[in-house]
Amino acid sequence: MTQQRPSMHIGVITTLALRNLRRNVRRTILTATALIIGGAMLMFALILGDGTHEQWIDSGVRTGSGHVTIERPEFRLSRRIEDRLPAKARPAVMAALESPEIAERITSVFSRITVSGLASSAAGARPAQILGVDPVAEAALSPLDEQCVEGRYLATDDRLAAYVGAGLVDSLDLRLGSRLVLTAQDAKKDVAGQLVRVVGIFQSGIPELDNSVIHIPIETAGEWLGAGDDVTSVGLMVEVSTAVPAVVRELRQALAEPIASGEAVVMGWREAMPALRDAVLVDEWGAYLIFGVLFVIIGFSIVNTVLMSVLHRNREFGVLQALGLTPRQTGAVVLVEGLVLTCTSGVAGVGLGVLLTWFFMGDGLDLSQIAGELSEMQFSGVAIDPVIYPQFRMSRLVQSAGWIVLIGAVASFYPAIRAATIDVAESMKFER
Amino acid sequence: MIESTLASPEATAPVATSAAGEPAVRTEGVWKIFQQEAEEVQAVRDVSLTIAPGEFTALAGPSGSGKTTLLNLIGGLTRPTRGRIWVAGEELSEMSNEALAQLRLEQVGFIFQAYNLLPVLSAMENAEFPMLLQGVPAEDRAARVKELFERTGITGLEDRRPGKLSGGQQQRVAVVRAVASKPALVLADEPTANLDSHSSEALLDMMAELNRELGVTFVFATHDDHVMERARRLVRMVDGAVDSDETRS
Repeated sequence: MTQQRPSMHIGVITTLALRNLRRNVRRTILTATALIIGGAMLMFALILGDGTHEQWIDSGVRTGSGHVTIERPEFRLSRRIEDRLPAKARPAVMAALESPEIAERITSVFSRITVSGLASSAAGARPAQILGVDPVAEAALSPLDEQCVEGRYLATDDRLAAYVGAGLVDSLDLRLGSRLVLTAQDAKKDVAGQLVRVVGIFQSGIPELDNSVIHIPIETAGEWLGAGDDVTSVGLMVEVSTAVPAVVRELRQALAEPIASGEAVVMGWREAMPALRDAVLVDEWGAYLIFGVLFVIIGFSIVNTVLMSVLHRNREFGVLQALGLTPRQTGAVVLVEGLVLTCTSGVAGVGLGVLLTWFFMGDGLDLSQIAGELSEMQFSGVAIDPVIYPQFRMSRLVQSAGWIVLIGAVASFYPAIRAATIDVAESMKFER
Repeated sequence: MIESTLASPEATAPVATSAAGEPAVRTEGVWKIFQQEAEEVQAVRDVSLTIAPGEFTALAGPSGSGKTTLLNLIGGLTRPTRGRIWVAGEELSEMSNEALAQLRLEQVGFIFQAYNLLPVLSAMENAEFPMLLQGVPAEDRAARVKELFERTGITGLEDRRPGKLSGGQQQRVAVVRAVASKPALVLADEPTANLDSHSSEALLDMMAELNRELGVTFVFATHDDHVMERARRLVRMVDGAVDSDETRS
């Protein structure tokens, strides 16, 4: 027997599949519509989710320690000045930050002296997170300077100034110009006090910040705690959070020596802010779960549509095999039908998703109208902005189209097997 | 109207032939038993037949006598419960479904009572279909179908879908489809059952001519007396078994 030419069969199979799709236009359109809407919603939801997470991350790292932070390993838990970055490690850090591979990805660098201490006034004493900051770098990074409700943020020539959270101001009965004493362990492990004056009060709406955070000039903190020019951490901001792993990798290579000697550690925001990481993960997986359910529903609707179409065409599949189409080729006709339908619909769905994304890209999607409470929501020191800005990523486009095609292929597989395994003689008796 | 002479060398090209000296069809002790709920139905019982290349044979008998089942067995559309079948020298029982499909493509043409044209293809495309699977070049396919459409009197209907053709026209397209790929054997199941007497006569004329001039072996299942009269060999079946086997001059 001569072998059939596969190329000839691909053409025949494709022709039959396309003609069958055109044969029942209403059914094809209904199935395609479900796939297009599913694809568009999937893509838009993924992109919206990315935008939401990017906002959470941005908000979190700005009030926290940046996208990437370099500090001494012990500092994360101790928050003591004695666990600061050693002076000899700082030149290596600065050199690493200036290397072209890293510098091109960084949008800002800031140094801080952060310690846990006590803030005291005539009214009492409260625990406080005291941050010695560079006012210019901090103002460019942190949203706290914009959340000033009274007075002003720190200026470069300030010496004994303090920018204090509104909750702390209330509990210590402070006002603008009030003096307060900051107490913490210094570099020699002695308890040291520093008198400062309130120049500004902020209200972020996040209790963790409003009730404990105090910003003072970094020079003042260095002198008070006996740290000189040393800092406890160097933070970096990058363009988008997806660039963080690459920057962390580069920095770890560049700082291999201080890292090996236990003098420094490089952490991305996921390590430095585990609560934020977990919140993003939980939200992502929650969304994937919903997508999974959506996909199962879409998948079953495709199975139902294609299978019904197969069962109605039993006699035709029998004829095709009687005429010489092999069982596998008969199954391929059904599979190609499903693939053509899902590929076309997937592309159209992704196109619709791009349009939706583009529509909301500029002004964002304002959820405050439908959920006013959102404007006051926060978690783990991160405020939730009710206006969500979609963040377009090519990978999401490919993923959305890929998932739709995969669902279509999987959902067409069972009907294809049914078509391939029919009893030819019985199928032609059928419908006679 | 069917022309009495062949118009082109293409149409007279030899059909697929059996291996030298081999019969077109041979069955040896073939049984087909269906299980219907608790009951066993013996659709074909111990049938042994040999059909030589070029024969024009009718399997006759009342409904339920096993004609269609025997045709399906010969065409490899279903497998025997017992016994062996050879088509063009190749034994079917050990063949995979893929190999059976290949055998049908190369050696067997089918004509069905219900025509069974593919509704998504035009008359021309239906007729070309087996040749398309065989990989026959487009020009050759077109020439062969054109010639056979002329011979069967359906020229001008090439672009019509089956739904736009009468029963007689559909059956002619089905005959063209069955013979255009030049099979060694054409199996026809009640080919005239749905046709009026005029169309039925024309179809029989056409098949007789194709048999005579192209050497195609025809095996019909029929209970139409008129078809039986035209057959050169008449195999009568009763209750799944061969009752008589008569060859006419």
